[in-house]
Amino acid sequence: MNEINKGLDDRRATYIEYAQAVPLAYAIDLDVCLGCGLCENVCLAKAVKYDDKERESEIRVGSVILSPGTKGYDPSGLVTYGYGLYPNVVTSEGFERILSAGGPYYGHVMRPLDRQEPKSIAWLQCVGSRDTNRCGNGYCSSVCCMYAVKEAMIAKEHIHGELDAVIFNMDMRTFGKDYEKYFLRARDKEGVRFVKSRVHTVSEIPASGDLSIQYVDESGDMKEEIFSMVVLSVGLTIPDSAVALARRLNIELNPYDFADTRPFEPVTTSRPGIYTCGVFQGPKDIPGAVTEASAAACLAGGDLAEARGSEIQAIEIPREKDVSQEDPRIGVFVCNCGINIGGIVDVPAVQTYAAKLPQVVFTDSNLFTCSQDTQEKIREKINEHDLNRVVVASCSPKTHAPMFMETLEACGLNKYLFEMANIRNQNSWIHSKSPDLATQKAKDLVRMAVARAAVLRPLKEKVIPVNHRALIIGGGIAGLNAALALGRQQFEVCLVEKETVLGGLSLKLHHTIEGEDIRVYIEKLIAEVRADDKIEIVTDAEIAGFGGYKGNFETELRVGPGQEKRIIKHGVIIVATGAIEYDPKEYFYGQDDRVITQIDLSNRLEEKGASDLDSVAMIQCIGSRNEEYPECSRICCQNAVKNAIHIKKLNPDTQVYVLYRDIRTYGFLEDYYREAREKGVIFLRFNQDSPPDVECLPDGVTISVIDHVLQRPIAIRADLLTLSAGIRAADTNELSGIMKLNRNPEGYFMEAHVKLRPVDMPGEGIFLCGTAHGPKLISETISQAQAAASRATTFLAKPEIKLSAITAKVDTDNCVKCLTCVRSCPFEVPAFNQNTKLIEIDEALCHGCGVCTGVCPREAIQLSFYEDDQIMCKIDALMAGGM
Amino acid sequence: MRLDYPVNIKIILVPCTGKVDVLHLLRAIQKGADGAYVVGCLEGACHYNEGNLRARERVEHVSRLLEEIGLEGDRVRMYNLSSGEGPTFAAYAKEMTEHIQKLGPNPLKKWAE
Amino acid sequence: MIVAQRKPFEEIKDMLKVYKKVLNVGCGTCVAVCLAGGEKEVDVLNAELDMARKLEENPIEMGAITVERQCDREYLETLDSIVEEYDAILSMACGVGVQFLAERFPHKPVFPAVDTSGLAVNQAVGWYEERCRSCNQCVLGMTAGICPVTMCAKGLYNGPCGGTNKGNCEISKDQPCAWHMIYERLAAQDRLDNIIAFYPAVGWKDQTPRTLIQPGYKTEDSAPEN
Repeated sequence: MNEINKGLDDRRATYIEYAQAVPLAYAIDLDVCLGCGLCENVCLAKAVKYDDKERESEIRVGSVILSPGTKGYDPSGLVTYGYGLYPNVVTSEGFERILSAGGPYYGHVMRPLDRQEPKSIAWLQCVGSRDTNRCGNGYCSSVCCMYAVKEAMIAKEHIHGELDAVIFNMDMRTFGKDYEKYFLRARDKEGVRFVKSRVHTVSEIPASGDLSIQYVDESGDMKEEIFSMVVLSVGLTIPDSAVALARRLNIELNPYDFADTRPFEPVTTSRPGIYTCGVFQGPKDIPGAVTEASAAACLAGGDLAEARGSEIQAIEIPREKDVSQEDPRIGVFVCNCGINIGGIVDVPAVQTYAAKLPQVVFTDSNLFTCSQDTQEKIREKINEHDLNRVVVASCSPKTHAPMFMETLEACGLNKYLFEMANIRNQNSWIHSKSPDLATQKAKDLVRMAVARAAVLRPLKEKVIPVNHRALIIGGGIAGLNAALALGRQQFEVCLVEKETVLGGLSLKLHHTIEGEDIRVYIEKLIAEVRADDKIEIVTDAEIAGFGGYKGNFETELRVGPGQEKRIIKHGVIIVATGAIEYDPKEYFYGQDDRVITQIDLSNRLEEKGASDLDSVAMIQCIGSRNEEYPECSRICCQNAVKNAIHIKKLNPDTQVYVLYRDIRTYGFLEDYYREAREKGVIFLRFNQDSPPDVECLPDGVTISVIDHVLQRPIAIRADLLTLSAGIRAADTNELSGIMKLNRNPEGYFMEAHVKLRPVDMPGEGIFLCGTAHGPKLISETISQAQAAASRATTFLAKPEIKLSAITAKVDTDNCVKCLTCVRSCPFEVPAFNQNTKLIEIDEALCHGCGVCTGVCPREAIQLSFYEDDQIMCKIDALMAGGM
Repeated sequence: MRLDYPVNIKIILVPCTGKVDVLHLLRAIQKGADGAYVVGCLEGACHYNEGNLRARERVEHVSRLLEEIGLEGDRVRMYNLSSGEGPTFAAYAKEMTEHIQKLGPNPLKKWAE
Repeated sequence: MIVAQRKPFEEIKDMLKVYKKVLNVGCGTCVAVCLAGGEKEVDVLNAELDMARKLEENPIEMGAITVERQCDREYLETLDSIVEEYDAILSMACGVGVQFLAERFPHKPVFPAVDTSGLAVNQAVGWYEERCRSCNQCVLGMTAGICPVTMCAKGLYNGPCGGTNKGNCEISKDQPCAWHMIYERLAAQDRLDNIIAFYPAVGWKDQTPRTLIQPGYKTEDSAPEN
């Protein structure tokens, strides 16, 4: 059974877990291994050890990070869904594999029973989440709504023809950055149906294998629909092994077995020196997990800052030989890769062939060219035969080129005088059924590589110094935390705030939903930042000019009422410009003082309590999730729940109504949503197309809304109407122009990659955190700030940066300054220098994509290592063999 | 994944499909290749933002040039996939090969030295 | 800048059909900037011609060279030693360059590979818009910087014709009426009196090939020898 593919297909007893596994190595499935001994006998590397045993080793460390990950909830216990009983009921994890090109059905969407393309698929949300009744997991798993939408979209894309995709949900929780737009696209453009219902039972129609779902719709009517397949959107749980680990390490867990952390120390466990990240900290999506990983690294590294640079072994590299005046002397090393290549390709024949190619002066073949002793051998041969170019015919340059290039460097040969022919992944592995053709193709690939090697040129990687100082823009919770984290890592920081006081939006807040005092926290935080002599604080300042590149930026500030000019030199930037509360134009806000925002309400509760309030109503999604502003503001639902509970605690007799579209209390916030309901807060759902009506009458504000269950309008009289106003990015028009930082249509800054690089900005050395990136909670802001500091540390910790040598270079003699490259570069790197009057490409900024080289009308730009003749010669060499 | 694809496919590595030049594709056909295709990242997912979009424009341009001189324009093609899609890569290699086999050999082949 | 676009391939191929060895000369200034005739376009056209002629079983040998500018004799000198090897010359320069090449090598057939479209601004990569017809009689000072010769379909000097239609020209609703634009901009600058001034029409009869002599650099007696 193939575990990765959730048992939807089988695998052999010796297997690679999945194509992207690291390390990409074989394992033996002991449960099914017969012990025949065959694999041990055939393994030339002698890597198979049947009697290999678990070994214990002791490592002394200064900090520990726990990231044991998550396990999808196993729905076998929920017998009414029929998982494990009906073949066409799969979990969302199983369905991911069905969609995957590397999955059991190679990306064809088929149902397990009869391998037929499904005509309809139902996703059932909250299986193993938001369920204190059947499984005890009271929390929301945060990611299932989004992945269900994604799976529905991809399934529709993969299935040619019509697919009826239906997502049964209680609330759609697409609260992440740009997630709401994705949900709307699924609903309005792709026709994914969303049904508000929690399905209780799935039953199979034995004749067809189809599945019948009975559910109660919003008006309370019983409905039945038939589907070809059912996907159970299983929640995130903590595996037993992680719980055992936590016990051994003596860290505290919350009631759901996740690591117990505090809102203001989101990645710090109960035990000093032990940090955590990812789903073990709480249910979250990939960007959240990646962010927290960096945050945990930041704190773990902060504890060890003094030890930085110790216990490092420097590699000595001999002086580089100048071979520029020599004719090419190429050595070709052909690899057998055990039997991976040699078992298919006639390696001796390829070696003999290579020896006859022009400018080849030496050839060799090895069992494993990548082994340590072969590196030694290659070094000897380079010196013995005075080789000045090396070709290795083996596997993928992606995995092995860096190692061979080091071998060249160790002989004083420039590492760019190296070329690989991939005769394994691109040849023997895939053409194993036709050895003769594979041998011929290996010759072709070697001939191409030799041709290219002959025209390679030595390249220099420019080394630039790094200014070990960070500029942080914004002195709110994000900027302050980033500053503090960098200070702890022993780096200097200049923290710039446009207002005269530090604190940002947090100055308007009182308590978190967990009850933590924000004011106390922010005062302590500011005091700590002020006490750190590595951090310089510049308030009442704005950015007026900007230049430079990673490691060496220069920013001009205008400071104070006199707008004094100041130049800051720094190596990195952290953008933490924050956000503000939306200023509602809806429902008489600003006209009637009984209509207030959630921030106003929490102020009011702090000052006057709730004893005089008979009734408070709240309307959600004000200034969010509408046509003008489609995005969800993420934090307003928990804000409403927080204030509703606060009112109930102050005065249990106050009636509290929350009018909502979807309640998005993700993660452990769900507990507070439940608490609010238990305390008698009334939640009423309304449709976007029939929003509540509000009348401001002398004896109170009257809110009318259509109740779904009653299917008729009801009227609520309230002393206060609280609008859950959304979040808006701070005004960064000018800043983004000066620093050339991209923002999305909502005004939030863009990260380098939404999933994988959530705190890096596209420009190198520039990082992003807090609500400048998108709406988020204080705890999320803090971990992102620590993450940004961590990413910045990876730059600041280096004495110097080695730039890639693979950059575009302009032949200024031939350049006509036509500006085509300037206008075509995706990163706006080529520029006309007003002083030199030349088009220049700054190698510190160039990403090396080569787009400019293809548009230059005078062929005056070349991308080093991929110069036109270095590509053309491969084409010519290939075709010289006659195809 | 070691998925089989036709042996006549030979790969030339570039850092980004944005580096692929009109002249590179023309040269391949000029020297007798029966077809040439560019495999780039999915549109919208270029590591260098838009290299694969530039590549598509160039492939389409070469296609028009080939039509101009009397060759089939779709001897050059552009495919997009993500790095995790081995089976798709193999499927495209097969599709391209079958497509080129239908077109028959490049009549310029006999002129190649 | 002078802009040009490549001639239809068939036309170029047809011009060269009797020749076996042709030198394709690019021009590294205006036509390179407008992506029509620099090194890159020379290489692309040569590859095409090479393939097309092979397909016709009538191969051609194409040479490639791009000079800085074909309208300066010093830059053409580099060609003197190589043109003899060729049966004909193909020029990717503007009409000026083609003629200057033909003058320098009067015994060699010289063919244009591009059509010269005029003087244009570069709005974006590959996008050019004409602004000047080099009439040698500039009135832009009076017309608020909008050229009535280029921008008016009839090249009128003294106000619009009867075909002006709600700001557009009668030839197309996408073509703004030059005189409407001139009126609007002059009005905005409070210079409408300019529009009253009368201008004699361009003396097209005087449009013989012009020789321009920059005072302070040259006199008529010191004309260069070809």
